[in-house]
Amino acid sequence: MTTLAVLEQRDGALRKISFEVVTGAQRLGQPVEAVVCGTGAVQGADQVAKFGADKIVTLTNPAFARYAPEACAQALAERAKHGGYRAIVFVASATGRDLAPRVAAKLGVAVAADLTDLKADSNGLVVTRPVYAGKALLKVKVASQPAVLSLRPNVFTPVERPKAGATETVAVSVAPGRVTVREIKAAPAGTLDVAEAQVIISGGRGLKEPANFKVLEELAHAFGGRAAVGASRAVVDAGWRAHADQVGQTGKTVSPALYIAVGISGAIQHLAGMRTSKVIVAINKDKDAPIFKVADYGVVGDLFEIVPKLTEEIRKLHG
Amino acid sequence: MAEIVPAQYQPALPLEKLIIPDGAAGAGDRMELDVLIVGAGPAGLACAIELARLARSDATELNIGVLDKAEALGEHSLSGAVVNPRAFRELFPDLKDSDFPFRTPVSKEAVYVLTAAGKWRLPIPPSMRNHGNYIASLCEIVRWLGAKAEAVGVNVFTGFPAAQLITRESAVTGVRTAPAGLDRNRTPTAGGTPPNDLMANVTVLAEGTRGSLAQAWCQWQRVPSDNPQIFALGVKELWETKRPLDRLIHTLGWPLPRDAFGGSFVYPLESHLVALGLVVGLDYRDAGVDVHVLLQQLKRHPLLRELLAGGEMVEWGAKTIPEGGFYSLPQRRAGDGVVLLGDAAGFVDVPSLKGIHYAMDSGIFAARAIFQHLGSGSPLAEYDRLVNASYIAADLYRTRNMRLAFRDGFYLGGLQAVLMTLTGGRFPGGRYRMHKDAEVARRVSPVTPVTANGISKVDAVFKSGNATRDTIPSHLIAARDVPGDVARFYAHLCPAGVYEATENGLRINAPNCVDCKATDVLGPRWTPREGGSGPKYKRM
Amino acid sequence: MKIAVCIKRVPDSETRVKIAPDGKSLDEAGVKFVLNPYDEFAVEEALRRKEKAPPGAGEVAVFCLGPTAAQETIRTALAMGADRGVLLSADRIPSDPLESAKVLAAELKGSSWDLILFGRMAIDDYNTQVGTLVAELLDLPCVSAVSHLDIEGTRGIAEREIEGGIEVVDFPLPAVLTTDKGLNEPRYPALKGIMAAKKKPLDVKPVQPGTGTLEIVALMPPPERKEGKIVGEGAGAVGELVRLLREEAKVL
Repeated sequence: MTTLAVLEQRDGALRKISFEVVTGAQRLGQPVEAVVCGTGAVQGADQVAKFGADKIVTLTNPAFARYAPEACAQALAERAKHGGYRAIVFVASATGRDLAPRVAAKLGVAVAADLTDLKADSNGLVVTRPVYAGKALLKVKVASQPAVLSLRPNVFTPVERPKAGATETVAVSVAPGRVTVREIKAAPAGTLDVAEAQVIISGGRGLKEPANFKVLEELAHAFGGRAAVGASRAVVDAGWRAHADQVGQTGKTVSPALYIAVGISGAIQHLAGMRTSKVIVAINKDKDAPIFKVADYGVVGDLFEIVPKLTEEIRKLHG
Repeated sequence: MAEIVPAQYQPALPLEKLIIPDGAAGAGDRMELDVLIVGAGPAGLACAIELARLARSDATELNIGVLDKAEALGEHSLSGAVVNPRAFRELFPDLKDSDFPFRTPVSKEAVYVLTAAGKWRLPIPPSMRNHGNYIASLCEIVRWLGAKAEAVGVNVFTGFPAAQLITRESAVTGVRTAPAGLDRNRTPTAGGTPPNDLMANVTVLAEGTRGSLAQAWCQWQRVPSDNPQIFALGVKELWETKRPLDRLIHTLGWPLPRDAFGGSFVYPLESHLVALGLVVGLDYRDAGVDVHVLLQQLKRHPLLRELLAGGEMVEWGAKTIPEGGFYSLPQRRAGDGVVLLGDAAGFVDVPSLKGIHYAMDSGIFAARAIFQHLGSGSPLAEYDRLVNASYIAADLYRTRNMRLAFRDGFYLGGLQAVLMTLTGGRFPGGRYRMHKDAEVARRVSPVTPVTANGISKVDAVFKSGNATRDTIPSHLIAARDVPGDVARFYAHLCPAGVYEATENGLRINAPNCVDCKATDVLGPRWTPREGGSGPKYKRM
Repeated sequence: MKIAVCIKRVPDSETRVKIAPDGKSLDEAGVKFVLNPYDEFAVEEALRRKEKAPPGAGEVAVFCLGPTAAQETIRTALAMGADRGVLLSADRIPSDPLESAKVLAAELKGSSWDLILFGRMAIDDYNTQVGTLVAELLDLPCVSAVSHLDIEGTRGIAEREIEGGIEVVDFPLPAVLTTDKGLNEPRYPALKGIMAAKKKPLDVKPVQPGTGTLEIVALMPPPERKEGKIVGEGAGAVGELVRLLREEAKVL
């Protein structure tokens, strides 16, 4: 039985996150058929062969120029119903979180959502998902036929395992649907709330002056919209940064996947709020700074040399 | 400076902020109640429950409202605690002890005098014997009482701090609640709520230790007391331990300086759930005394180190305790339209470390007096009569000088306390005069670095559940120019790290505040702030 | 405007998670339960839309699948200003969100709503789908994760955050929407609202959700935080740092 991996495209080009879907779909040990909805050939879709797609199918319909929730869900559900797939895998991106439940409901099942692990063996399909804001992990047995799964982004690091990747294009006939995406507009600058960001780069007094926060902003930019620049209370009180950027004075918990503390000693007022971050990186010139006790990874040295280098490396990764 | 007298830097109680005339502009909603109770602690809730019961048995309807500044019941309640169950039995005659929200009956107890490395066991002073009492969490008690109150139709409004007394001539006619959603400059924001006026025939002030409105009323009505009220600061931690504890422990001595009064408690709520804390009288003589830091030192004493090894501190908190006893009680606790209950009135017995049952019984007496007053117009002073004739007054009278004797130091005080115990309070007798804590001079010693042992104040505040928004306006009123030594004194005083001495002067991190009120006793004055601010205690 | 809002009673976000002896659920001793924060945006939006409608023409009803204690959660919504509440009472919330959706859909089917609002996800299980599943079951248009909303007559325009931008979506009423942070600032219940809530209708209907096809095997603590390490000194250590973040920590 095949696993159906649902890819994402935007403006006719494949989104990189699609590689994660295929990588994750591999875990089920079955051949993987990748599918994407588009108006024609999706640029870069053939790349998924590198990550283990045996087959790559493009479903075409004029409605698929933009994300068409109802049309896309209908097309995928139809394909799923007739394809006898063991499982249908999405990534829990903004679109995936919207699309997966629609498809699942049409197939009479729920989504096992936001997974960080999946395992299929003779006992069946067992998945793992974080709950209670990551304070616990839930292990779930998925008996749904087919299983509909969505993977947490940034967990299933794409692994190259080239397969044939035979491509196929199928025109599908579906109604455009009642819900229409009119346009995608740019997010207004600075809306990424420190409390919501996946990546937070926080600066402290070690930055020496407000203008130097630019190096952190550049690093944040390199993460492509997922990162916010935070600040310790000391620099907020000194007026260098806006209050909304302040992290961790009185116990406000920020729990990003990655917290980078730059020029922050960690002695007071900062640690309590960011402790539950998944991964903490500290950059400080003082090797005895208390922050290193809390950090998972530390780099000792001049932040003005280290941070730009880090920015360069991140840009290369996300490029 | 060689010496600091805190009173010299302490602003006066801001009466003009705490008392307003009926009809003053600024309120959003106005609500009328029969009885309004400020504070959903054991005193306030017992009063509400007894009032509701009296109304029900009389087939009358009473509109009773209880206000609390915490977001949810119990979140600002903190105590040791070892509870004398008599008030529970009185309030709920149909229930058994096993129905009450207690954890374990007290079985074994021990009292030690500690030195830096060792301990001496003392026979248990008669006043401290706890046989028949129960170890409990005050948070759990309050939540239990709250449920009982709501079940009998009492309206409990959490998240609504009473910020001002509303008065007409010399009567209290209600309270105004604090607004919510002000920005740092006190400007109302879109999502905020304006103050509300709650009007009532009787306003019950059950605010707990160092209640602002209780202080304001006493000052406004010039209600005297023989001695000023004095306070101790308790800092407490709750631990889930790997090792079991099967006994109640109290300690004296180390790490307290000889000229400070206080001691520690270690109470097993369960064999592996231990409440421990250090309580220090705020008349300590050394400006560098830091109760939180002393507690961190205490935990490394051999007596506790083993117990706590491998365990986890799950909660932290702090609160002051009124210690003045009998002579510090306001001479009347009832007035025109108002009564004072519990800790707000000072009903705490230091030698036995008890206040919860006094609080509840004061609530019960108040309820009876209030009910009579509402029915027949009899004076509220009946409440004073009931308390004065009760065991509350008798107990406090017997131990009236014991705490006060310790103003003469640990050994002399201890000797006097023993004599008082043996003579049932008769000798030494008379009345020990006490100064207000703020008037006691403190020695300034060279600046000692704070050792990074145990938990830092900021991490501690996190463990109190405090998530006050950072943009909240400061609720603390400090003197304009605070010298460095005084700023340092404040920094040591406050267990929550609100105060910092910086090169630019005193820095006030108001959102850190956990409402212990130590600041109000010795430093910047505390005023009510937005509902839900402060700690969120769960099992303290 | 007739608006239904589906809400959930969840443990407070600051809850210290302890696993119950059965190894599959949260130990609820001492846990503080609140109205799911994302549902607050839904309740607030419903109230604002009702307030915009001519007086008497608007109604906000809240529905909650949960245990008896969830009546308190409904009262919170009533205190904010909702008109009536329905508790679909079940001892246990199904582990399969489709089963929850079926119960809610069955209850909602009886009336014709202009809008049915959900919070986009619950902060306990993070399933992020019940609203969308209900929309499918009722065959209604659905927009999820709405952070901005305009309604003109029987047409609506919603905005939702996607990676790197904002999707602007057109939809007809009646519709199901799930609400996200940024949509509005939920109001604090006023004292009068809290008093009034006690008198508003709250129906309790026992329900029997099915077991579904997602079965909880275990609830486990997250892996222990390993001791941190200093990767190196200076800019030269950056390469190794990035490698570790990618391969070991898996955050890049």
